[in-house]
Amino acid sequence: MQKRKIDPLLLIGLIIIAGSLFLAVFGNSLAPFDPQEPVGDFSMPPSADHWFGTDGSGLDVFSRVLAAPRVDVAIAVTAAIVSAVLGTGIGLYAGYFTGRFSEIVMRISDILQSFPVFILAMVLVTLTGRNVVNLIFVLAFLYTPIFVRLTRSEVLTQRTRTYVEAARATGNSEFQIATRHVLRNSLAPSLVQLSVTVGFGILLTAGLSFVGAGVRPPTPEWGIMIASGAPNIILNEWWTSIFPGIAISVTVFGYAAAGNAIERWARK
Amino acid sequence: MTDLTPLLSTRNLTVKYPYGDVQNVVIDELNLDLYPGQIVGLLGESGSGKSSLALALMGLARHPGVVSGEVNFRGQDLLKMDDEELRQIRGNSIGLITQKPRQALDPLVNVGTQISRVYRAHSQASKAEAQIRAVELLRSVGINDAERRVSAYPHELSGGMAQRALISMALSVEPDLLIADEPTSGLDVTIQAQFLDRMWERARDANIAVLIVTQDVGIVANYCDRIVIMEDGKIIEDRTTVEFFANPHTDYGKKLILSSGTGDKTSNADVAIITSPEILRVTDLRKTFEVDGGKRLQAVSNASFQIHKGRSLGLVGESGSGKTTVGRLILRLADPDSGEVWFKGERIDSISPKEFRKYRSKIQAVFQDPFDSLNPRWPIERVIREPLDLHTQLSKEEKSARVKELVSLVGLTDDILPLRPGSLSAGQQQRVSLARALATEPEFLILDEPTSALPPAARADMIRLLKSLQERLDLCFIFISHDLSTVRELCHDIAVMYLSEIVEMGTSEQVFSAPSHPYTRALLDSVLFHDPNNRRVDRKVKTELEGEIPSPVDLPDGCYLAARCPIAEQRCRDDHQELIQIAPSRSVRCWKSVEASQ
Repeated sequence: MQKRKIDPLLLIGLIIIAGSLFLAVFGNSLAPFDPQEPVGDFSMPPSADHWFGTDGSGLDVFSRVLAAPRVDVAIAVTAAIVSAVLGTGIGLYAGYFTGRFSEIVMRISDILQSFPVFILAMVLVTLTGRNVVNLIFVLAFLYTPIFVRLTRSEVLTQRTRTYVEAARATGNSEFQIATRHVLRNSLAPSLVQLSVTVGFGILLTAGLSFVGAGVRPPTPEWGIMIASGAPNIILNEWWTSIFPGIAISVTVFGYAAAGNAIERWARK
Repeated sequence: MTDLTPLLSTRNLTVKYPYGDVQNVVIDELNLDLYPGQIVGLLGESGSGKSSLALALMGLARHPGVVSGEVNFRGQDLLKMDDEELRQIRGNSIGLITQKPRQALDPLVNVGTQISRVYRAHSQASKAEAQIRAVELLRSVGINDAERRVSAYPHELSGGMAQRALISMALSVEPDLLIADEPTSGLDVTIQAQFLDRMWERARDANIAVLIVTQDVGIVANYCDRIVIMEDGKIIEDRTTVEFFANPHTDYGKKLILSSGTGDKTSNADVAIITSPEILRVTDLRKTFEVDGGKRLQAVSNASFQIHKGRSLGLVGESGSGKTTVGRLILRLADPDSGEVWFKGERIDSISPKEFRKYRSKIQAVFQDPFDSLNPRWPIERVIREPLDLHTQLSKEEKSARVKELVSLVGLTDDILPLRPGSLSAGQQQRVSLARALATEPEFLILDEPTSALPPAARADMIRLLKSLQERLDLCFIFISHDLSTVRELCHDIAVMYLSEIVEMGTSEQVFSAPSHPYTRALLDSVLFHDPNNRRVDRKVKTELEGEIPSPVDLPDGCYLAARCPIAEQRCRDDHQELIQIAPSRSVRCWKSVEASQ
């Protein structure tokens, strides 16, 4: 037998994910300055004291970049997990017990997925109010149909396999077959999607804040930071937007890469 | 019959596939000679290098494979040729038939065009000439309405017909060597026999050298002059078929012959009046399925039989005969349209699925596909324990002891318990299925082709196991199969099914010694006995069925076999046939057979 080589993409992805989760928990304490209190002059370029400089309100950019995962990553991860659990459950039911319920669920999913995600998210957040809990619910609501669809289609394949028939012949009830046998064998696509969904969630959270529909300033949040720094880029004040921008890119890349690597591994 | 100079000979042929840092040697210094007019059967376990050899002989061993040695074809080394020269040889002189014929055909082009393209690629014929040739070729391989079929697309052909289209493509340029890689796997027995007969005749007539790669000892015994057995990339036996069957040299060879279905019958297959209590009774079972366009497919009609304690019924038929559906109806995996199923005096077809669950521990099943029948995520221990969890109140220790007992009962060892199904061989997987089925000491089993997906050696082991369990546990079961020799070994009684109906029923002894229905006779004639002295091609009288099995959607008014039956008369086409008893425990659905028996 050959030694299994670790997929470099998976390694990079996992390191980035671990880093983002670490910052979501400890980012605030690691930050050298209070991310919400002005610490010095406005719009200072990067220096030894302020590694990423300060922004137009005199807040330390480095501290804010470190503290932001508490909002961005926490929202995205929670929303992704909620939608995965919900979507997998509904997808399992809709796929295993096909019939009217299944049809209704799928048509609702169709309607939800036919809206542009970003616009729908903006509308929903505006209607429910801009706070972290509402954001999580909106994101979870928007991402649930993805998991419903993925799980349902996998369940539809799995339920035709002989082991399901064998489980029935062994004496399982339909509910037992669905939960003990089919569910476990239908999880792979959702697990892959979970990581990718977190990435999209971060992007969406930041995007909503960027247009002013997400969490309120001065909460440290990447989207807000980019938005507040954006007008000043033409004044050569590049650091306020670039660093949170890089943070978003790297984090989203990490989650997407891990998702891809897991998918590749699962196919083997 | 054979020339002394070989048509093709390999010298030290080696094929390696690099796998990481290791060289995986698939074919190891192999020397093989093929002679014109000789049919050679290449046998071996999967992974022994058979198919790799077949490809290497055509110069098709692919990158990253590393090929060394020589493949001399009429004195030229194929391995030294460039692509263009090879292309000429492949089309003109060497033909290839692969398994899964439908995948080998282009789905967007009709068969006639595909055949004529091959023909035109290697000859100067015009399109029209090639088309005529295509029709001739299709007819020569036994396709009845070749003029019509020539414009059929691959999806319109059955598997057997697609395979014959493929062989006519390979034969279109009159090759000197034909390589057939498991050409009949997946075909029904009567269709397989038809196909092999045609191939054998064509090879004989045109003095073609044929290499048949197969796992089926019956094919080798019946159609091959010479047998070559491979193991780990090496040839371990290379002798004439007759010599081999008289005295195999290697262990694998001996095992193959042991796996043969020649004779060995169930012990108490006599017509003695059965005194043991009735376990299962099925009356007038009927099931149709709706297909596209609102039509109904008739899967089972008027199936009636009973099974007594300690006896076994073989349900025999080709694909689409409804035999599997009968099993599913009894197991309540599908609900019958009408008819009754009685288990030990209780009617079980009309109770709710929930009520039926208490019978599950008494009626168990083993299915055809060994891997697919086991939950791939569960360790074997949990698979076998599941019925105990569902139906018994045993303690953890008692269950674990019972699981170990079951594992040894089916001839496996404890160390497989923590493994997942994927890391077991097909034979082991099927034993696990059997252990699961036996866990709750059921009174009745349905075995749905439990041996047909297994390689020959594992199949023989499985049959031996079933036989010994049958004696030890006094098992009562229905054995569903298309393999008559297996049924003969395992079953006391036989019901032969054709297109949803039971056409003949009786004890194994009765049916095998004097088959009465023309379909049963044809089925028996298509059994390829593992005996080169009793070859199908040598038999003087054969009951051969014409053409293909008709669609079960639009069944004719009269006898369903009439269109294929060699003795059919007008009355057969007009009147639907009833199952008529002609002797104790023996009935047949054919008025001519009934008359002949009186």
